[in-house]
Amino acid sequence: MESIYVNIGDHVLHILLKVQFPYKSFIKNFKKILNKQSNLEITIYDDYGLPFKNYDVEITSSSNQIKYRRADYLIQVDKDFKHATIHVHNELALKHAMMNLYSAFLVHNKWGLLIHSSCAIENGKGHLFSGQSGAGKSTAAKLSFPRDLLSDEASLVKIENDSITVFNSPFRSELEAGDYQGSVELNSIQLLHQSPENNRVKLDKSDALIQLMDKVFFWPHSPEETKTIMKLLSTLVKQVPVYDLSFQKNNTFWELIS
Amino acid sequence: MAQYIQSGEYDATELDGEWIILNTDNYTVTKINEVGGECWALLKEVQTVDSLTQEIGEKFSSAIPISQMKKDIETFLSQLSECGLIKNVD
Repeated sequence: MESIYVNIGDHVLHILLKVQFPYKSFIKNFKKILNKQSNLEITIYDDYGLPFKNYDVEITSSSNQIKYRRADYLIQVDKDFKHATIHVHNELALKHAMMNLYSAFLVHNKWGLLIHSSCAIENGKGHLFSGQSGAGKSTAAKLSFPRDLLSDEASLVKIENDSITVFNSPFRSELEAGDYQGSVELNSIQLLHQSPENNRVKLDKSDALIQLMDKVFFWPHSPEETKTIMKLLSTLVKQVPVYDLSFQKNNTFWELIS
Repeated sequence: MAQYIQSGEYDATELDGEWIILNTDNYTVTKINEVGGECWALLKEVQTVDSLTQEIGEKFSSAIPISQMKKDIETFLSQLSECGLIKNVD
């Protein structure tokens, strides 16, 4: 059994791996630390279910526990989000289960959101590129080289009443996490549309909120949780401008941003 | 006269004079403007087209004739019904 402490956002997770395979490519994106005080302890087993079938997650909750069940994973977490167990079928299931659990943990703590997007740093400020699968998040991330990247698939956004910041995300698609530490102020959010021309149009706050609702990774188990997500999104769009960005598949879109 | 009231569990957020209504029963969102938001708030209690017309007329003093306002409110109420946000309490 391996026991590691990792840092995500400004949280410490204690991960106990009771697994048959090493899952090195998953683990390497997490920043290991020596701290022994964790916010959430997670025990992971790889003894469960079938290979990936679909994204349907069945959520059930009892008085002291919430269960998230997919064909390839099962998460059981205490309602105070201090202890969890994850049973997975393989590495993909482990990645998705960790995203599911951590996003629920963030919303439970009203800390922030995991947003379906890539994030690049320009002049010390973060810029998010969001959209559905295929919209160009990874493309925008790759075309942002040599800027530092905080995410290529799922951005970690801390939402407070007087500041919105982005942290390095360990939940990666193609581009491995760099060792950028700390957080940066979020300066803009782009909703991506590939196009023959570059164009950037600012959205009304209400439209921005509606557009962002289905870009958040979350699996609501209660109306209260959904309300929390709405409040977090509302706090986000009050502080950060959201744009529709039509962009060519080259790096000239940055001229519209910086 | 037909009477209406909000149906279900809602959470409303105001952003720059517009309202986003989240229905936490079926996870839908509806965006309405400022006057619509005022009507919506009044619909926490039972209302009729006449009671809404009177309240809105007093709150937003406008040059719109009462008959036109009534028509607009009727249309708005039927849209809210279609979205499942209000119900008839006859």
